[in-house]
Amino acid sequence: MVENQAAKTAEDDVKILAFLCNWCSYAGADLAGVSRFQYPPNVLDVRVMCTGTISPYFVIKAFQEGIDGVLIAGCHIGDCHYLKGNYMTAKRFGVLREALKFMGLEEGRLRLEWVSAAEGEKYAEVIRSFTEEVKALGPSPLRKRRGVSREAVGS
Amino acid sequence: MSELAEIIKEKLRDGADAFLCLRDCEGTVIPALISAGDEIELDGVQVGSLRYPLEKILARLQERYPDKRFAVLARGCDERAMIELAKLEQLDLDRVVMVGVACSAGEAEACGCDRPYPGEIVLGERAEPAPSRGIIDEVESLTPSERLEWWKEQFSRCIKCYGCRNICPMCFCKECALEDPKLVEPGVIPPESPSFHVIRALDMAGRCIDCGLCEEACPAEIPLRSLYRKMREIMEESLGYRAGESVEEKNPLSFLGSEEDIEKLEQED
Repeated sequence: MVENQAAKTAEDDVKILAFLCNWCSYAGADLAGVSRFQYPPNVLDVRVMCTGTISPYFVIKAFQEGIDGVLIAGCHIGDCHYLKGNYMTAKRFGVLREALKFMGLEEGRLRLEWVSAAEGEKYAEVIRSFTEEVKALGPSPLRKRRGVSREAVGS
Repeated sequence: MSELAEIIKEKLRDGADAFLCLRDCEGTVIPALISAGDEIELDGVQVGSLRYPLEKILARLQERYPDKRFAVLARGCDERAMIELAKLEQLDLDRVVMVGVACSAGEAEACGCDRPYPGEIVLGERAEPAPSRGIIDEVESLTPSERLEWWKEQFSRCIKCYGCRNICPMCFCKECALEDPKLVEPGVIPPESPSFHVIRALDMAGRCIDCGLCEEACPAEIPLRSLYRKMREIMEESLGYRAGESVEEKNPLSFLGSEEDIEKLEQED
């Protein structure tokens, strides 16, 4: 019984790191909040000025520290505040995903979504479906023995 | 006098200030810069069976002697490296005279090279390409968790000697991500798996010209070449780019691009 509970907790306790662009997705997340759309509490946000500034190193570092899933969300193509910043994200993402796949990290742990400032509901939906997907995959195989360390997630 | 010595003399006569090649020095083959072209200097010059990233030395030489022209021995991989270095503004091809060397069929086979000859062959006979995928197929037949374990076992042998980076003709950054204490914890051996090697692999995307020197240099026999070769495949599949093939085509990861490119990319997904 105790064992079951422990297993359940580990599975439910997945940690997702979401890189949100300042101009669209962060505002979208904000809108989801003020509109009171429900979504799982497993997400840790990192606000960046543009998804184009997200180095693949950040994602690797997140996974190495034991994060179970990484979401990158930015403006739709054509709507970037810096005109073309998200073009770079789109190009890098495919390469990064394939590289991690070759390393043996499940594809579902990394996701790229375009969420505008007006799409609060889409943001909530993305978080719901992504959390489901990561929960189904279970805790990351790179997770350190005693779960994600407090320092790593800054909570 | 050997064929190479004749060529060196000819190039030095025709306007090259110095010739970068390999030389047998009492049984050890080392890079040598020939500028006078006399008997003493030319003693022991050879194409050699050993490879060395001469273009890496060439980039340093150009930096130090901006008004000199250098001639250099170039195998297929050296040529690809020079093209890619030129695109990254590390090398000025206008000041380089390449003397193409074709690898023998045996060498191409041993290397698994898909282009064992440069554009213009001066020495040697053109051998057929012998492309190989190394351990890629073996890794791809595994499930994700098995793959992770497999790589972990390989990377656990890493002694963090940085040999792969130091020998790599495409590595020239003054500040290396692999020495950033925020990304790679200093003093820990083996380095964290797999982040150390994934960082390097990602930096190799769109750069690796598949010379295989990394794997030759690795004392722990980590199948690095296959890892970077896979990155080369990924670049080709997702962005249609092969490093070192043409002087004109830009690396798609080096500029933002047009909306059409991105739309095409999204449709493929």
